[in-house]
Amino acid sequence: MLEQSFEALKTYDWGVDRHVLDPIDEAVVKTRNDAAARKELESQLLAVLQSNAPRDAKDFVCRQLRTMGTAASVPALEQLLANAELSHMARYALERIPEPQAGQALERQLAKLNGQLKIGVISSLGTRGQGVRLLRPLLRDSDEAVARAAAIALGRIASADANKALGSARPRPALAVVLADASMACAEKLLAAGHAKEAKATYQRLLKNNPPELVRLAAERGLKACPTA
Amino acid sequence: MDEKKLLPAPIKTTRREFIKAAGLASTVLALPTFIPASALGRDGAIAPSERIRVGGIGLGNQGGSDFGGFLGRAEVQYLAVCDVRKNVRDAKKAQVDERYKNKDCAAYNDFRELLARTDIDAVHVATPDHWHALIVTEACRHGKDVFCQKPETLTLREGPPMVEYARRYGRVVSGGSQRVLEDYRGTVDMCWSGKLGQVLAINVQTNNLSHACNLPPEPVPEGFDWEMWLGPAPWAPFNAKRCDGNFSTVENSWRSYWDYSGGEITDWGAHHFGGATFAVDVRELQPQEVIYHAPEGTQRAFLEFVYPNGIRITHCKPGKANLEVDSNESVTRAPKPVPGYKGKGGIIGDFLYCVRTREKPFRDIELAVNTMSLCHLGTIAYHLQRSLKWDAAKQTFPGDTEANRFTDRARRQPWQL
Repeated sequence: MLEQSFEALKTYDWGVDRHVLDPIDEAVVKTRNDAAARKELESQLLAVLQSNAPRDAKDFVCRQLRTMGTAASVPALEQLLANAELSHMARYALERIPEPQAGQALERQLAKLNGQLKIGVISSLGTRGQGVRLLRPLLRDSDEAVARAAAIALGRIASADANKALGSARPRPALAVVLADASMACAEKLLAAGHAKEAKATYQRLLKNNPPELVRLAAERGLKACPTA
Repeated sequence: MDEKKLLPAPIKTTRREFIKAAGLASTVLALPTFIPASALGRDGAIAPSERIRVGGIGLGNQGGSDFGGFLGRAEVQYLAVCDVRKNVRDAKKAQVDERYKNKDCAAYNDFRELLARTDIDAVHVATPDHWHALIVTEACRHGKDVFCQKPETLTLREGPPMVEYARRYGRVVSGGSQRVLEDYRGTVDMCWSGKLGQVLAINVQTNNLSHACNLPPEPVPEGFDWEMWLGPAPWAPFNAKRCDGNFSTVENSWRSYWDYSGGEITDWGAHHFGGATFAVDVRELQPQEVIYHAPEGTQRAFLEFVYPNGIRITHCKPGKANLEVDSNESVTRAPKPVPGYKGKGGIIGDFLYCVRTREKPFRDIELAVNTMSLCHLGTIAYHLQRSLKWDAAKQTFPGDTEANRFTDRARRQPWQL
């Protein structure tokens, strides 16, 4: 059954009965504790990903690799990050593969991509909680959408370094609210981690710059949450 | 380098504690410095300038029902409609214009344009589930109060930002299950009255999970912005059944498909689990464990959610009915007052009342997120066919890299949460 399913996958396209791939779905779950079987399964999936199979087939493979892909899948997925049709599905897998190689692949491709594909990679780095050093300069990117994405990602990472990066960003009126929002996300996380001083300084910094009304109210609320001592 | 490791330990304050410290978890949300004139009602007729100014995003099916619920309210001034289907938004605009006898209602394809308006106080959202978290957080960032249809989240990871944004910006954010209070009131009253003694467990019944969609391509209808409908979901060709908003979860609506919905366990689960958690009074908690039971023979698997206080919620336990309660009647329990809607007019009235008073609504987003997390934990346990441990404070499956992969999904560019 599994063999037939892989055969069907080679030409799988929208409109084909989705149940032809059920054996692969089942194999992914059943091989959880069988490293050799998992390795073989991953290898078969990667063969399809690197073939001329239809987009839908590769979409299916990326979904499986999200669930069970390892560092072995990273090179093939990394290659797809620059592919407009498959970049998202490559991230769909890479974002959830816990091995560091997945994050390194995203970092490597960040400088090589532009526009929407770059924004996608920025988003995935934010989700994985890494890449502050690379995201920081993007706050000055001439593409406002890229700069905005970097700010959101840094707010998602919300580490002390991310907070510093946001705090040192050049004022940019169109991004004022997003930058402030990301800074407040950092402040909340820092406060929750016991770094009240840094959180307080962040809110005070935001309030100093005559922020928009909504930001001012939010920052005042955050400041109130910081211990007074 | 993993920047998270740069954060010095130890963690002294949880996010929940931060919210409490900020005074944000009290029953009254922080007041804005100004109360919009539109939110100050008076006796008798309400002048348009004093009504709550509302916009609607996602207006088909359930969104259409919510639209009617808001438009019909005297304290609402409906200003704008948004839908990616031109025929839907044109029809809704016409209804608004007809009500007010003018042509003033604005119609948008892109929700960001509606949210950018500074003259709108509140929005109701009834898009497919894959859009909810993005729109709710963006609405909060623009200072809007939000009524968001259930299921409020599509993944576990979407819940905390929705709560954080609501609290950060002092917004009233209500989930949209009217059934939690209205359908299960009898069970809730029995539990809260003390008549059942010590409540031990409650069962929930729902049917199928969502699944993959592989429908064939069809031409995109004129006036249908398919790219915007898909938004953060994986790209797929248009098919009318893929995006139909009817309430079925079997193959002919977006509610059937994994990319847009959890299927019945989240779609009806939002109601049933919402009612169950209300009845056994664990709305403010998330489970710490999900036990996967796989009986021998042909009986289907079922789940048992274990709460930190020992309460158990089962899903599809054989021989149990929906919202059937197990209790120890020999233990005496004092009655507790049952919380309900504030204001008049059901869950929408509750939301509008809270927009005026800045109180927390009945289905405050944090309670809604807790219910949805229960549904998502169940979905993951069924997918993996095994039991799971859940750390609600850290929003993670401790030491379980396989399950942790399921807490979220990458969003299609340029959408970012």
